[in-house]
Amino acid sequence: MDFITTLINGLSIGGIYAMIALGYTMVYGIAKMLNFAHGDIIMVGGYTIYVFLNMTGHPAIAIITAIIFCLILGVTIEKVAYKPLRGASPLAVLITAIGVSYLLQSLAQIIFGSAPKMVTIFNFGTKNIGGLRIQISTIVTLIATIIVMIALSLFVKFTKMGRAMIATSEDKDATQLMGINVNGVITVTFAIGSSLAAIAGLFYLMKSPSLTNTLGSMPGIKAFTAAVIGGIGSIPGAMLGGFLLGIVECISYSIPVIAPYTDAIEFLILIVILLVRPTGILGKKRREKV
Amino acid sequence: MSKFSKVLCLTLALAMVCVCFAGCGGAKAGNYTAKNTEFVIGMSGPLTGPAAIYGIGVKNGAQLAVDEINEQGGLNGIKFKLEATDDMHDTKKVSTNYSSLLEKGMQVSLGCVTSAPCAEWTDLSHEDNVFFLTPSASNDDIPKYENGYQMCFADGNQGIVAAEYVNDNFKGQTIGIFYKSDDNYSAGIYNKFKDSLSKDVKTIDTVFTAANETSFDEQINKLKDCKFIFMPIYYTPASIFMTQAKGIIADDAVYYGCDGFDGIDKAEGFDITSIPQEVSMLSHFDSNATEGVAADFIKKYTDAFGTETLNQFAASAYDCVYALYGAMKKADVKDVTISASDLSDILQKEFTGGYAFENGVTGGGEPITWESTGYVNKKAIKFIIKEMDK
Repeated sequence: MDFITTLINGLSIGGIYAMIALGYTMVYGIAKMLNFAHGDIIMVGGYTIYVFLNMTGHPAIAIITAIIFCLILGVTIEKVAYKPLRGASPLAVLITAIGVSYLLQSLAQIIFGSAPKMVTIFNFGTKNIGGLRIQISTIVTLIATIIVMIALSLFVKFTKMGRAMIATSEDKDATQLMGINVNGVITVTFAIGSSLAAIAGLFYLMKSPSLTNTLGSMPGIKAFTAAVIGGIGSIPGAMLGGFLLGIVECISYSIPVIAPYTDAIEFLILIVILLVRPTGILGKKRREKV
Repeated sequence: MSKFSKVLCLTLALAMVCVCFAGCGGAKAGNYTAKNTEFVIGMSGPLTGPAAIYGIGVKNGAQLAVDEINEQGGLNGIKFKLEATDDMHDTKKVSTNYSSLLEKGMQVSLGCVTSAPCAEWTDLSHEDNVFFLTPSASNDDIPKYENGYQMCFADGNQGIVAAEYVNDNFKGQTIGIFYKSDDNYSAGIYNKFKDSLSKDVKTIDTVFTAANETSFDEQINKLKDCKFIFMPIYYTPASIFMTQAKGIIADDAVYYGCDGFDGIDKAEGFDITSIPQEVSMLSHFDSNATEGVAADFIKKYTDAFGTETLNQFAASAYDCVYALYGAMKKADVKDVTISASDLSDILQKEFTGGYAFENGVTGGGEPITWESTGYVNKKAIKFIIKEMDK
């Protein structure tokens, strides 16, 4: 019974990792860059929810505002910081992304201070399901994550913009030659990734009410790890990597002997997978032309 | 390159070298006390940031004692002055703070408020032989040199005292433990607690790390049947744990912490009354005292600074200043320009020579003494922060 609870907890936290990992993987797949500021969008989403929840008292308004705000922020960051560097060396883009990450963290610290803010969005309580005592928020997170992922997969597969995204990730130049606005595709990718980050921020606050300016750092790194484990650039890979990492984390925490080494175990899995499958579990092998 | 450019480059290079060496000289204790007109007590603590509740409490408590001593005429007619600097609980800021305090004429200090920065302070002050009596940095290694002393219980001692309580009250039962494995404070208390725990008490141990301080579903799942959970952690993760455990851990369970729990009832955005369980902590200060020196201190402190930062750190800092004053009085220090190193030698002799600080707010009615290791000897109490909902 305990193991089932562990699995449910793992899937729930894994769902959050997966949702953040989707942002990393989509941006990498399409713009070929690692957006290290992605984790901090979660934090911005959290603070937006906090501000609007205090102002209006309506969680729904706060959540919708956070999603819209993060969407605009993501697109603005892309336009201001990353677009001028298109064609520049990957290192320049990477360092810019790290710079944006620190900028967002510092701005949040200046505006809100460094003391943690406690935010209670929904209080669902707990429920006995078949002898298991589980927090409803865990189940809500899990179900919402699965719905978002299915919706995203359908969007990518069956819409014109989704197909344009796949085409851009396959071959940017050829896509452009086919008359597709690659810059527009990249903008939409950032918009979707940032909205998902805002939703991840919401789920994070539902799990843990403590909000600080570094909220997004560690989940960002874990989600990036998940994206690489699953195969960076692959949407199903990000989901698989997220869930895998979440389950490993919870199983590890449930075994006292290895519990203190949970983080090390998670990153060890990354190393092992990269050694065995350098492109990640679902990553595609690409032939390099010399 | 023109001749002018060469000369300019050489001059700039020389200037850079000079600037580099200027930094290496450092501030030497003793150089700056010659112009003192008051005894200067220095301290470094988090006056801003997440741990500010501790730093501000210490600053206020110490200032209250300094003001009282000065009102009574000081020591041999010489008044005291408190110099407080902000380290934001960041080790990197300690060195700068320490140097600036020396430049301000610091002769004796309260060290740092929190353990990690205080470890840096320990090494810096040892080089210059500056005496410190920290009100709250509880790591076991803080008083590792002869110039360092603690007013709070060392982490190890907190673990031992907590284990004694559990041994007496939970014989034959299973208790839960929730600690932070990559934090010196938490792991230090945990290790001593486990070492001192009787074999008759079974434990379910759960951990978390700095990488995951926000979601404790799995740990709560493991601890759900425990009626007593020992939590040697700071109050922010503790409050998150308690919020997430609502409805899963039994309402009649007890959360028992150490000094890191201090301030949990005043944490921003956390309503402790929404937690059904009892929340208690091992302490040396009863912030609900209605009589005795503790009650007097509470009244004076709240009149001056309100209740928000009233905690055992503030009380401990108040005691630190009076303990230093008492020791200096006993040694009859008259020279206001005495160097930090000379004063340190005098104070070390007093503290290792059986000096007993009477009537301390944190002494539980008994005199406070120190071991030659720098650890404090005083009475611990189990302080109930919030009773169980009935």
